[in-house]
Amino acid sequence: MELLERQGVEVVFGIPGGVLLPLYDELVDAKFRHILARHEQCVGHMADGYARALRKPGVCIATSGPGATNLVTGVATAFMDSSPLVAITGQVATGVLGADAFQEADSFGIMMPITKHNFRVMDPKQLPKTMIRAFKIATTGRFGPVHIDIPIDVLTSDIPEKELSKDYPIPIPKRNLSQMLDAVKILESAERPAILVGGGAIWSNSGLEIIKLAEILMAPIITTLMGKGVVPDTHPLVLGVVGMHGRQGANYVLHNCDTLLAVGTRFSDRVTGKVSDFARNTKIIHVDIDASEIGKNVKGHIGLVGDAWTVTNALIAGLQSRKIKQSEWKKRIKEIKEACTCDFDLSGEPIKPQKVIKELSRYLPDDAIVTTEVGQNQMWMAHFFEMSGTRQFITSGGLGTMGFGFPASIGAKVAKPEKAVCDVAGDGSLQMVSQEFSTAVENNIPVIVCLMNNGWLGMVKQWQKLFYEKRYMATMLGRSPDFVKLAQAYGADAIRVEKPSEIKEAIKRAVKSDVAYLIDVVIDPEEDILPMIPPGKKLTDTIYGRCCFSIKG
Amino acid sequence: MKSVRDMVAVISMLVDDEPGVMQRVMGEFTRKRINVETIVVGKCEKPDKARIVLSVTDPVKAQAVIEHLRMLQEVNEAETVDESRHESYLLMMNDFGKARMTGSIEELSNVIEKSQPKKYISTVSAL
Repeated sequence: MELLERQGVEVVFGIPGGVLLPLYDELVDAKFRHILARHEQCVGHMADGYARALRKPGVCIATSGPGATNLVTGVATAFMDSSPLVAITGQVATGVLGADAFQEADSFGIMMPITKHNFRVMDPKQLPKTMIRAFKIATTGRFGPVHIDIPIDVLTSDIPEKELSKDYPIPIPKRNLSQMLDAVKILESAERPAILVGGGAIWSNSGLEIIKLAEILMAPIITTLMGKGVVPDTHPLVLGVVGMHGRQGANYVLHNCDTLLAVGTRFSDRVTGKVSDFARNTKIIHVDIDASEIGKNVKGHIGLVGDAWTVTNALIAGLQSRKIKQSEWKKRIKEIKEACTCDFDLSGEPIKPQKVIKELSRYLPDDAIVTTEVGQNQMWMAHFFEMSGTRQFITSGGLGTMGFGFPASIGAKVAKPEKAVCDVAGDGSLQMVSQEFSTAVENNIPVIVCLMNNGWLGMVKQWQKLFYEKRYMATMLGRSPDFVKLAQAYGADAIRVEKPSEIKEAIKRAVKSDVAYLIDVVIDPEEDILPMIPPGKKLTDTIYGRCCFSIKG
Repeated sequence: MKSVRDMVAVISMLVDDEPGVMQRVMGEFTRKRINVETIVVGKCEKPDKARIVLSVTDPVKAQAVIEHLRMLQEVNEAETVDESRHESYLLMMNDFGKARMTGSIEELSNVIEKSQPKKYISTVSAL
């Protein structure tokens, strides 16, 4: 416990268990806060939400065996989105380890492929070193979760004072900017440049630098899902989120630029579509802190290895005194942005989900933190929610974990209690984690849950509708609870919204509430998230739906 | 036809000598769908360190996995080894007894082909 205090930990999220009793006994006297969740998966997501909101490590604790296996989803989610977690699991005593003792699982082996690094501490003398290294590894280079498995007898051993005060440096990953000059030359003479920004730019907080670089180049900025919010959507050069359900303006730019500066993104299949057809005639300059990302998904281009902030600043320094090429493309950005603001009719009942998102955009505070679950709710938010530049967008982009958003919102609210934190949920996702209303109420964490309730596992249903001839199977949630009553049963406040005119008032009330607040919005079950580029297909195969984006050339 | 040595890439690593390191290293190969042909692991000149030398049949994939190996905390160094430094070992047995040989990968694969030993194990190392 003292080791955690020394790492500057202020909050831990956890659930105790038999082998953790010595640790929890010490926690009675701890200076930091412990938040008791109701399921270990959510312990992980809470620490993850906390980490993303603060850009510093979140700490979570689970017991051995089932505690550790439940935590796996939380840790894997953080791993895919490069979030700095320190996950501690208890373990059976070293004497019985490997003997299939009660509540024993090979947590060390299980966590290995889903962590940046993990430890099993067999010697109490190693515990200080392990703890210090864990926090450093989680937050050095590309962030990521680190797991520490601690047998109960290691927890109870005394550690000599001199072991506590040592420091253990870890190597810092090398930058490689040897291709910088090539990058500068390509960018200054590009006819149709674009900047694609991913989650890496969020972690290194480089929004302002990206904007500055874009203004020098007069290049449009498009973001991945994980990069959403790093730049304000209101800026004239910002065209929004790309990808399968992205803004058509952004996708148009992605697929028509001749030079793409990609910053802190790994070219996920949800961005590129069919990767063999992606950017065949585009010069790509790939900036990433992780050398193993360069050339992993998209090959044969210029790579700059370093954090987004440093490399972007270096590019600004290299480009600002140069003569940047003027071109027709650069003049057309405004036209593309305008073509992508189609304003279709959102009135009428049942409520259109897009209407809910637009109202959230308007009535949530300018510095709100929003989290999402996974599925249609997430993509509606990605597509329609407007980021002011001071808002934060937290979502499970890589692993796509349903049930992430609600516990993550609790973690984010703990990190930044002064901000409004709103989880945009689906009725499928919320039912995976609804027990955490207990945690939110018990610990006075007044988050908002805006439930897009359509009675379906909507995204899977949409795919069944579009690609499986409407042969719906296991996607209708036939018997869901009354969510208002459910939230109230946990001591939260709740309201049901069935008319478009009621949304605004509900949001305003939720923002003011001093207890967790559920807005159960009954939305049109037939409304899909469109436009959509079908998986593995090209931009020209887009299913538009209501989207009326069209542009010459 | 490609010769044997065109199809072999050898990766050499200096790693921390700790439990779990092999599992972590092999995990990278599993995830990248690379079949490892041979493995040599052993203590080396540095205290608390070990060397792992692996051979795989796909030089392109070998190059791709190197950066991932370097990301591992216990891997201090990882590189592909030039062909001139490859060294192959062969232990074989037939009804008359055992024989052990060293040589280039190509030489030893020729020996195996010609002598058709009843049992053998062949591996690749490098420094």
